[in-house]
Amino acid sequence: MTLLSLSHVTKIYRQGGMLGRRLITAVNDVSFELGDEPEILSIVGESGSGKSTVAAMILGQTEPSEGALQFAGKTVAIHSRAERTAFMKEVQPVLQNPFEAFNPLKRVDRYLFETARNFSAGKRPDRQQAEKMADAALHHVGLTLEEVKGRFPHELSGGQLQRVAIARALIPQPRLLVADEPVSMVDASLRMAIVNLFGRLKSELGLSIIYITHDLATAYYVSDNIIIMRKGEIVERGRARTVLDDPQHEYSRALKDAVLAADFSGVG
Amino acid sequence: MENLVEIQNLKAYYRAFLYGVDREVRAVDDISLTIGRGEVYGLAGESSSGKTTLIKTIAGAIRPPLRVVSGNVKFHFGGGTQDIYAMKPEERMALRWKHLSYIMQGSMNVLNPVRRIRHSFTDFAFRHMKVSKAIFFEKVAVHLQRLKLDPHLLDAYPHELSGGMRQRMTIALATILTPEFIIADEPTTALDVIVQRDVLTMIRDIQREMGSSFLFVTHDMGVHATVSDRIGIVYAGRLVEEAPTAKLFNMPLHPYTQHLVGSLPKIGDPSTRPSLEGRPPNLAMPPEGCRFHPRCPKRMEICSQKVPPLVTVAPERRVACFAVTGDQV
Repeated sequence: MTLLSLSHVTKIYRQGGMLGRRLITAVNDVSFELGDEPEILSIVGESGSGKSTVAAMILGQTEPSEGALQFAGKTVAIHSRAERTAFMKEVQPVLQNPFEAFNPLKRVDRYLFETARNFSAGKRPDRQQAEKMADAALHHVGLTLEEVKGRFPHELSGGQLQRVAIARALIPQPRLLVADEPVSMVDASLRMAIVNLFGRLKSELGLSIIYITHDLATAYYVSDNIIIMRKGEIVERGRARTVLDDPQHEYSRALKDAVLAADFSGVG
Repeated sequence: MENLVEIQNLKAYYRAFLYGVDREVRAVDDISLTIGRGEVYGLAGESSSGKTTLIKTIAGAIRPPLRVVSGNVKFHFGGGTQDIYAMKPEERMALRWKHLSYIMQGSMNVLNPVRRIRHSFTDFAFRHMKVSKAIFFEKVAVHLQRLKLDPHLLDAYPHELSGGMRQRMTIALATILTPEFIIADEPTTALDVIVQRDVLTMIRDIQREMGSSFLFVTHDMGVHATVSDRIGIVYAGRLVEEAPTAKLFNMPLHPYTQHLVGSLPKIGDPSTRPSLEGRPPNLAMPPEGCRFHPRCPKRMEICSQKVPPLVTVAPERRVACFAVTGDQV
């Protein structure tokens, strides 16, 4: 059985009103699968390549215009609140900018407790149970509840906030995490901490992660498989190391050449 | 090399009275550096390490609560010497854009979103040129063509251009008066990899052609390896290491630089990269002694007691670390 499968998925956005209506094909005939074995799949491409639209469809935020999207053998179709909760229990998002993901006027621990309450099966957990669940999730990301309890977003650094965001996503014990550019807003010295964390979550919790990025170097470092997208289409796919060591498609080669090596080779 | 910019013992602090508590944020703490004529000086550091405050103090754009506590910034424009803090505001205004210009991070913030790009050019550069409007736009067109940009783009609104194109227009705007010194603050951070490469090539070409000096600020070490001649590493408001690019990448001395250079994953090298514990310090309450010591793998007892001085350890190489220089005081 496969965890997630997209077959011939197309997404067309309509823009404009009655007159001058334009159709924009954001994603065009995309198919891929995630197996039952935990893996990290990177989706790489420039801005406008449709990678975020793919993420939105996997998260059930928008429906594909054509094609089928299945999670654990069932077609993803969300029509009610209960269905959404059931689905979100399995698939959780991590957003790009942790400063925007949290309400600046709300204490960050409230997000953890709310998630704990909303996604618990059976009886709603009381305060103590919710705290226990939050603490357990924070431990997975290298934080403790003590460090974040009662804190507002501005009191935490970008790296800490992003880890709290990941901890929140872990509370429902999902099987799939969809991370859309999770490190692009995080400082250089904290970036590797997040990327290493993904590798650990995969091996320790058996979590599959879809890692969306335009940073080829971290994609190479952390992911098992890679998909390179351009203008809504997949141009190349395969094992991350194989693809990036020797890209076949012209566009993948251009992407790889554009990576600025962080060592000095006398160019420029 | 002849110096174009000289910064001596510059200290700039933010001061805030909040709830009766007097707080001082030492965003730029005792920084000295020089930038040569025709040199690209790279400044690397994380957000909230004081990079932007340093730029503000260099350009003389000080507004409360920021104030310059001590030190000075001297330029050698047009053969003379200008001390930016001994000048009248009008003189400082005349200096800007003509001798000293600025490429900003968010190109949307530079170009007025409700007016055509043409107007941004007139707003910034017209008063410095002292020619008629017709001749001015002729010169702008020639300049754009030299940068391989279509002069028709002047009639576009900023939102009609792509991010990369917009950033190229702001670079054209910053270089129209062939300034001697250009400050570039994260000019390519918002762009994706392929566009970033093109924009960097353009900056490099302009620099070669005009012979201007650059202060190039970014946290991306890959960008520094591509454009900078010399790199200064800033950590929590202090300069911790300075070296020519090749030397800095081949043999970083400061533990923080070693982490910055060594932790970046590379395509073709699947070895495990360590991540650094902790986080950059809060500048309102920096740790005693060396500000990096709580995260440093090589920390010694002295690091939490004394501030390591920036010592010249080899020609063109300065580093502030007791593990490298020993206790010299």
